[in-house]
Amino acid sequence: MYRYDEFDAAFVRERTAQFSDQVRRRISGELSEDQFRPLRLMNGLYLQLHAYMLRVAVPYGTLSSRQMRMLAHLARTYDRGYGHFTTRQNIQYNWPKLRDIPSILADLASVEMHAIQTSGNCIRNVTTDQFAGAAADEIIDPRPVGEILRQWSSLHPEFTFLPRKFKIALTGSPNDRAAIKFHDIGLMAALNGAGEIGWSVYVGGGLGRTPMIGKLINAYVPHEHLLSYLESIMRVYNRYGRRDNKYKARIKILVHEEGLETIKAQVEEEFAQVRGGRLTLPQEELDRIGAYFAPPPFKSLPVAAIDIAREKILDAAYGSWLENNLHPHRVPGYVSVTISLKPIGAAPGDATDAQMEAVADLAERYSFDELRVSHEQNLVLPHVLVSDLPAVYVALVEAGLAEGNAGLISDMIACPGLDYCALANARSIPIAQEISRRFAAPERQKEIGALKIKISGCINACGHHHVGHIGILGVEKKGTELYQITVGGDGTEAAAIGKILGPGFEAEAVPAAIERLVEAYIARRQTPDEPFISAYRRLGDAPFKEALYGTA
Amino acid sequence: MGLPKLAITPAKPDKLRALGVIALNGMFDEMDALGVLRYAIEEVLPGDIAIVSSFGADSAVLLHLVSQVDRALPVYFLETGKHFAETLAYVETLRQRFGLTRVTALHPDPADVARFDPDGQLWERDPDSCCHIRKTEPLEPVTAQFGGWVTGRKRYQTAERGVLPHFELTSDDRIKINPLAYFSDSDVNAYKAQHGLPEHPLYDKGYKSIGCAPCTSVVAAGEDPRAGRWRGFNKKECGIHFDFNGAIAKPMIGQKNLWKDGAFTADPFRAWAETDSPETARYAHVPVDVFLRNRVAFLSNPHPIGLHVSPADQVEQVEADLLRFASIAIAFPAFTDGRGYSTARLLSERFGYTGEIRAVGDVLADQVPLMRRCGITAFVVTHEPTRRALESGQLATVNLFYQPVGTTEVPVGTRPFLRRAQ
Ligand code: SF4
Ligand code: SF4
Repeated sequence: MYRYDEFDAAFVRERTAQFSDQVRRRISGELSEDQFRPLRLMNGLYLQLHAYMLRVAVPYGTLSSRQMRMLAHLARTYDRGYGHFTTRQNIQYNWPKLRDIPSILADLASVEMHAIQTSGNCIRNVTTDQFAGAAADEIIDPRPVGEILRQWSSLHPEFTFLPRKFKIALTGSPNDRAAIKFHDIGLMAALNGAGEIGWSVYVGGGLGRTPMIGKLINAYVPHEHLLSYLESIMRVYNRYGRRDNKYKARIKILVHEEGLETIKAQVEEEFAQVRGGRLTLPQEELDRIGAYFAPPPFKSLPVAAIDIAREKILDAAYGSWLENNLHPHRVPGYVSVTISLKPIGAAPGDATDAQMEAVADLAERYSFDELRVSHEQNLVLPHVLVSDLPAVYVALVEAGLAEGNAGLISDMIACPGLDYCALANARSIPIAQEISRRFAAPERQKEIGALKIKISGCINACGHHHVGHIGILGVEKKGTELYQITVGGDGTEAAAIGKILGPGFEAEAVPAAIERLVEAYIARRQTPDEPFISAYRRLGDAPFKEALYGTA
Repeated sequence: MGLPKLAITPAKPDKLRALGVIALNGMFDEMDALGVLRYAIEEVLPGDIAIVSSFGADSAVLLHLVSQVDRALPVYFLETGKHFAETLAYVETLRQRFGLTRVTALHPDPADVARFDPDGQLWERDPDSCCHIRKTEPLEPVTAQFGGWVTGRKRYQTAERGVLPHFELTSDDRIKINPLAYFSDSDVNAYKAQHGLPEHPLYDKGYKSIGCAPCTSVVAAGEDPRAGRWRGFNKKECGIHFDFNGAIAKPMIGQKNLWKDGAFTADPFRAWAETDSPETARYAHVPVDVFLRNRVAFLSNPHPIGLHVSPADQVEQVEADLLRFASIAIAFPAFTDGRGYSTARLLSERFGYTGEIRAVGDVLADQVPLMRRCGITAFVVTHEPTRRALESGQLATVNLFYQPVGTTEVPVGTRPFLRRAQ
């Protein structure tokens, strides 16, 4: 994985010193909250309902065990013993004190981490596939380019005061696990006619109050021109993106209002000016960064089959963990293991300091010291020997992290909601907890199969409800919390935005409504292998609408 | 000012002399300019006093007073070669009218002019140097010859002159006599009227403070008369260390909000006003749309002008005319509006504009380093903490960069998009 050199270390050190000074000026009153706000936001510090919240970047979701231990240390020392992994592959601390922020940042810097640009109207932390560098289906490891993007976008002087926040995601696999079409810019590895790898560029995707699917603006940009091309998009957006209304300020609105062709023409014009200029990325540079991500020394092994059926008979919980939480690895004899942060009845994405330590230990022993954070708020051990799985599982059980529900109905995404978020209209974590209790039985979850439920506490859609196969959105109507249910969303390459089928439900009625949707699906699926989302696409709204609201 | 400096001057004789000078100040009625002048010329330093006059808009009063005491008092005029023809005519008018017998024009050294100002445009490039060769140098040999100088300075002109006495001791141990110290603007006008003094020919055309032609502009009604001087330059001091005559020596004075080259300097530019005319405007930042509508007129206007770029303006539209502008002001109506950063980069990097690019509006300390990287070289700053941060050199800045921006940053290490500020 990427290692800071002296330059990177000095950069983060300077930045930490800079922000420490700003914190000092805020505490002394020299800076007003208004003046401090954009500065703290650029450093990942939010003011929440109860306290400040610090968001720490996990660039492209990759962590070492040393870094994970530091995150545990921060949770223990400056917070209430836990951290919250987010849908942006970041970790948030909900209770730090303003005066501790400089120490926290210094601690982070000591393990090559920071909180730069995890908020504010700038280019945010770049996200990618949690199985990058391990997945059997990827055509290129996206992390070197992710690292280059991280560097290029760090404190970019021209793009620090954009109309609105700006998110970039990339995937090296045609099976998109990074929801790139729901980002301001999405990059998908692509091949040109000569078989060379480059990037398809999507622009203008996003969730929030106006969900949009990203549009293909350029089918193939070679590595060497990627930065020039992105800078061209950024410049067009910075100059022409709307600033009169913060709800219309994302690039998706610009693309929507001006039309893809107009934006494309502007970007091409800009690109024609900068193409081949200083931002041209030499192959040596790509190789140099790429070397940091060289595959670890894998053993050469035969393909290892796992007899899940047999394991299930011996230990049902272990069996379903094997069944759900493993992802195929490109090297025979290895798998990627998803560590679910969705234990039944708990807050999605939360991990205690002890759990973080346990996961760090596992990474060190069984996964070449590597860890990933997924945008579905789980952790991943990317490179685990099949023969080590029993040991890994035992350790996870001990840490309370052995839920075998990855990809199942109880593996939900939920934003912090009313319990933590100042913007929320409704609670989301309690709803997630209720639903997961209702579907707690492993057999039941298996019967249902792959089904993604995503919950947001307000229209800002941090819980990505639009792309949930079933989405739940908290709204406020006449002083009570109501939940709107959407069906048919999909964050993958088959991107789709979920549809609202009717009026909202009160909190207590939500689990039963979900159950009715599930029943409608099970009753109508062609085979037990037809997933919910495929059945929905085949059947259309009608049966689901009826399940929710009865016949008219 | 001479007096406060005395406190730290160790030489005893100076102090005694200073006390003597202070004592002189009590001798005359505030408005007794003639008494002051007569006493100085006849009693204090007989034969050792001279005057430098600009022959500007308010020089007539002092010269008229001089003529009543001693028509043979040496009167020096800095003939910079850059004066209005009207000024040269006015020298003649006053000389004859008052019967002054020793009016001497001091010319710059032709060798200096040939060497430093071959095209006559030095005033525009570097007014400090221009003043140096045209004023400071020619005056130097003359200053050494006299122990006292008469000036036309007045208390009311600036806050800094609020304590101006009739007699002053300068730091280089000369006596300055300020007969008009207590005169107000209306006293001057009343005196002119009472004695029927001829007006400088340009006075009625709106020139209230007149120096060299290129460095003098019309003053708007209500504006500080001296605002017309050195409009267009961040001129700090005239370079004449011995301040004979306010009208000549001091550049315009005002609230210094323009941070440039490591200091706050007086800002020669002002905002475009409705009443400005494209043909004659000078030292105003013209909005892009106004410029485009009156492009031909602005291009034939001989005076320095600037351009004011609002966030939504497209600088591409004025690309061909950028050389016309001595300064470009990029507006940041709110610090959160980042469009100006793109504008600045286009101007400096793409269009190769090398003149002053300044940020105006909501300019805060933490944005300044970013602005600099994007090519902005000057900042109009009113926010107090930001002013302090600039002055104390305590901008919180990160000096290592991850992307190539600007025209002066150099690569460090091997990565193409890592740079460090020069
Ligand atoms: S979706 Fe709304 S409630 Fe949930 S975290 Fe985002 S802003 Fe807060
Ligand atoms: S006032 Fe202007 S023209 Fe005259 S000497 Fe000074 S700079 Fe040159």
